[in-house]
Amino acid sequence: MDDIVTVNLTFNRQTLPLRADFLIAGTRCHLSTNSHDIMQLASQRQSQTKLINTSSFEMEVLVDSSRSDCCEQATHFRGLRHIVFATLPHGSFVAFDLLRKRVHAALSPSASRDLSFWNALLLPITIGVLGTTLGVVPLHCACLDRKGKGLLVAGLSGAGKSTLAAALAQRGFAFISDDWTYLTKQQSTLVAHGLFSPIKLLPDTIRFFPRLHEFVLRKTLNGEMAYEMDPQKFLQFIVTDMSRPGHIVFLERTATRGCHLVPCRPEYVRDFFEKSAERLPDELADAKAMRTGIIHCFSACPSWMLRTGESPQRTAEAIEMFLSEAERATA
Amino acid sequence: MQRREFAAYTDPLDILRRFAPAPLKAMYRIGSSRVVVRTNDFHLLPALPLEVNFGVSREQAQEWKLIRDSDTPGPLGATRLLVCGLLTVVEMGPACLLGMDHERREVVGFIGADVDARTYQEFLVPLLCRLTQESVPASPLPASANLREQSVHD
Repeated sequence: MDDIVTVNLTFNRQTLPLRADFLIAGTRCHLSTNSHDIMQLASQRQSQTKLINTSSFEMEVLVDSSRSDCCEQATHFRGLRHIVFATLPHGSFVAFDLLRKRVHAALSPSASRDLSFWNALLLPITIGVLGTTLGVVPLHCACLDRKGKGLLVAGLSGAGKSTLAAALAQRGFAFISDDWTYLTKQQSTLVAHGLFSPIKLLPDTIRFFPRLHEFVLRKTLNGEMAYEMDPQKFLQFIVTDMSRPGHIVFLERTATRGCHLVPCRPEYVRDFFEKSAERLPDELADAKAMRTGIIHCFSACPSWMLRTGESPQRTAEAIEMFLSEAERATA
Repeated sequence: MQRREFAAYTDPLDILRRFAPAPLKAMYRIGSSRVVVRTNDFHLLPALPLEVNFGVSREQAQEWKLIRDSDTPGPLGATRLLVCGLLTVVEMGPACLLGMDHERREVVGFIGADVDARTYQEFLVPLLCRLTQESVPASPLPASANLREQSVHD
């Protein structure tokens, strides 16, 4: 094989002597690496999560000095059966083994020193790809916390989930995520997790958040231009990484003024999340069944269709009033 | 210009292309091994001796599932071999991604749109054969085997 292969990388205990454990989305990651930079990044992973499910995964990160730091390299994902390949910026490559719950990452030296690569790319992608096999269900929705109860904001792409999440965070809701939320279940308790990922706001939201003028538009993972920033550092939002789901709203923008909340049936919630979930192969039948069970349980949360023709700030105000009234009614 | 026999495949719920159909199938002899090749492009059927004994079962044969990736243009990059326990991965940039699961005795992979038949037959097929022959013999596991215990403790 040596005559064909340019670089041969072996992932084992000898080549990856450094070890650390950390929590992410309610699961435990056993990290092995050859890089002190990676150990440094992992040590900054301070989860506030107390509730964890029993699952864990192995993450092997080998920093390979022969990899060129090609920042412009686009992300590229492919997978067959239980194996998933991800080509990432900074000349990095990750292989996922979903049956054995293992991640093998070959990173360039520059990727290994880049906190945003670690927080905004590698860890979210890892949980997004591997999560379902760990009992972590990725949901395409924003999540905020108010008085210990999670508010999940779902909706089709472009509905304005991130913008509404930012407006709610401006009103004092704790920000958990604006795009992907990760749901786990421990015994009978559902927990919604975020990953401390940056918030992503599209260029047209600048009219609602004039402060965005201070930031530069950048190309994001899916190729669109957006403002991406740390919501705590740059927007002074309160940020946390978990909550217990209390309410779900499905955001729908309308041309008419006003803000209306109409109750949804659990079947609608189930259908919305089941039908938008990634198709999984037969090899992952157990994971698929677990995902269905968690979505079923989640669909019992009180949920509403939110139709709004108002600004994100006015909509956020209406939601806050609605939740306060709901609280008073149940008190 | 090479005529493309494979159909474009898109499914918004399958961004990884896991369910890309692979309707072409043939069985080959590679040394003492038997290999079933499944693909969506007949140019990816290797020029190797065909197995004429149709009594060979799937359990006795290895499998290659190779998808022609019509949405991934560009040439092959440097060949990098990642040896990760029971999984060996060959990465040549997005134009060629191969994974060999030694325990399940299967190779899965994507070959980019611009990898021509000659490059495939003269460079990638020998590489696939080497992967297959260097594979650790092991009894195959059931498809849904839960390997959590092993992954944590080995």
